[in-house]
Amino acid sequence: MSTATNKKLITTLIVVVVFLVIFVLLGPFYILYEGQQSVVTRFGKIVNFEQDSGLKFKMPLIDTVVVYPKKILSWDGAAQRIPTKENQFIWVDTTARWRIADPAKYYETVNTVNNGISRLNDVLDSSIRTIISENFLNEAVRNSNQINNIKIEEQVQSVESNEDAETLRNLTVTQSRQETITIGRDGLSNMMFDQAKQFTAGFGIELIDIVIRQIRYSDDLTESVYQRMIKERNQIAEAYRSYGRGQLAQWQGQTESEEKQILSAAYSQSERIKGVADASAAEIYAKSYSADPEFFELWRTLESYRKTIPGLNKVLSTDMEYFDLIYGKTVKD
Amino acid sequence: MDTMQQPPRPARKVQNISPKLVIWIIVAVVLVMLVLSSFFVVDQTEQSVVLRLGKYNRTVGPGLQTKIPLGIEASYNVPTQVVQTMTFGYRAANNASSLFGRTDYDNESLMLTGDLNIIDVQWIVQYKIEDPVKWMFNVESRETTLRDISQSVMNKLVGDLPILSVMTSERTRIEVEAQDNMQKVFDNYGLGVRIVTVKLQNIVPPIGAVQDAFEDVNKAIQDMNRLINEGKQNYNKIIPSARGEANKLIQQAQGYASERVNQATGDVARFNSVREVYEQSKDITRTRLYIETMESIINPSSEGSVTLIDKTLANFLPIQMLEGGAK
Repeated sequence: MSTATNKKLITTLIVVVVFLVIFVLLGPFYILYEGQQSVVTRFGKIVNFEQDSGLKFKMPLIDTVVVYPKKILSWDGAAQRIPTKENQFIWVDTTARWRIADPAKYYETVNTVNNGISRLNDVLDSSIRTIISENFLNEAVRNSNQINNIKIEEQVQSVESNEDAETLRNLTVTQSRQETITIGRDGLSNMMFDQAKQFTAGFGIELIDIVIRQIRYSDDLTESVYQRMIKERNQIAEAYRSYGRGQLAQWQGQTESEEKQILSAAYSQSERIKGVADASAAEIYAKSYSADPEFFELWRTLESYRKTIPGLNKVLSTDMEYFDLIYGKTVKD
Repeated sequence: MDTMQQPPRPARKVQNISPKLVIWIIVAVVLVMLVLSSFFVVDQTEQSVVLRLGKYNRTVGPGLQTKIPLGIEASYNVPTQVVQTMTFGYRAANNASSLFGRTDYDNESLMLTGDLNIIDVQWIVQYKIEDPVKWMFNVESRETTLRDISQSVMNKLVGDLPILSVMTSERTRIEVEAQDNMQKVFDNYGLGVRIVTVKLQNIVPPIGAVQDAFEDVNKAIQDMNRLINEGKQNYNKIIPSARGEANKLIQQAQGYASERVNQATGDVARFNSVREVYEQSKDITRTRLYIETMESIINPSSEGSVTLIDKTLANFLPIQMLEGGAK
């Protein structure tokens, strides 16, 4: 092989490759991936649009392809401060899903994805504002009336009698009947959706849903709600403490009462026992002594002397019977 | 001379070999690149979606897989086996899902309850990609969509319940309903995910004075229990001892009673016995009893002193001696 043939070969190869590249770059084919759709324009005029993925044809050089996402896109609205029907200001944060349903119309009216978002901003913000301000706060916060069927009570613990537990529950009850709602949060979302849908259809946009992501009170309202929550808790705390003090007093009273009852009952019983004993002793004595009162007197007197006199310092007169014989008296004088 | 002659030879060699070699090298490199780019690896935790010329062609599992090179087929690996977690209201630091070292995101977690109170709810959502094709090509910003819908559903559920129920009894119901509702919305979008679980984390009143007030209720319950126990303690301290005291009184009375009756019986028995004798010889017994008694009374060994005096002073008595004897 000579160098000349080699050089020829290389040149041919390079030429082929360059032509191939030019053909592919400018050529009639482009790839549309899954999740994409395209609009083909010729000198600014829409000639075709594609929604299925795959290898697509276009006229080389003169056709321009604009690719749009076919996927569901999300719209993230800035939170808006909106007055409700009762004129309370709340922050409403919403989000929406949408998709380019008609790429040709979208190309005509909107053109880019970012433009689409700003169109949505206009349409959605206004319908959200309208719907929220036409309805009461409760309709936006709640979704159903189930709150009125839920029994809320404090967990009353360590209370002995059912009656007391009931009292405590009544003291700590915070439930108040909530206003009945007729539309609810989902209902409002649907109303926003219905209203906005009419406008977005004109842009080739299919609106899939609008959901309220979050609702918050405005800051000054938040503060007053906090105050209300605090007061509510304080009232409950006081109920518990006061109940505790009451129970303490009751126990103290019960203790004192029972103590007195027990001791006095015992006193009464013991005195009765003693009385009965005294009585039966007296009876025993009386029965026996009454047999001979004269001897009883003698016996009892002497017994008594025996007990009482020995301990005394005695000054005795000598003319007592005992000393008779000392002075020579006869016994029977 | 040698140095002059030697260089041309290698140069000629290069010139001779180079055209062929260059072509072969180019061909080889292209071949290697083609071969390399027609293989791809799918991890055990993943599935791979293969597009041919942009159109969905097939889904392949883990292992070494092949595709047509030159950009005709493209593959996207999707982690379908991994359960992924999203946190709401806080972000764990350093990806550790612990409650320590984390940042709170109040704006996500503060919510209105149905009774128009404010509560701080933090939760997690765990999900798995169930259908990699749907996941790849149906929804544009998937993470945002997951977050948005999860937040919206949670807000709606909490907004429908009173604050106390959210904090206590309805927790499980909220978790279950949130999971159902989210799943429905995502199915509707064709997002291709399955919600594995929704778990509520901290549900607390707003931090600061409100939380303190809630805390104070717990303290009040403790105070209440303490007071009640104090009352019971006092009762237990006094009543059982009072009962004992009462028993003591009664026992004492019974003792007294027995003593009294027994004493009476004894006294009477003695009296009766002596009386019987007395009846037989009254004078003798009487005198004997009298003298015996006097004897014991005026006994010098008795405790008190005895002083004898003559009432009329008709007789002299050695008083001093008697006194001394009495001592």
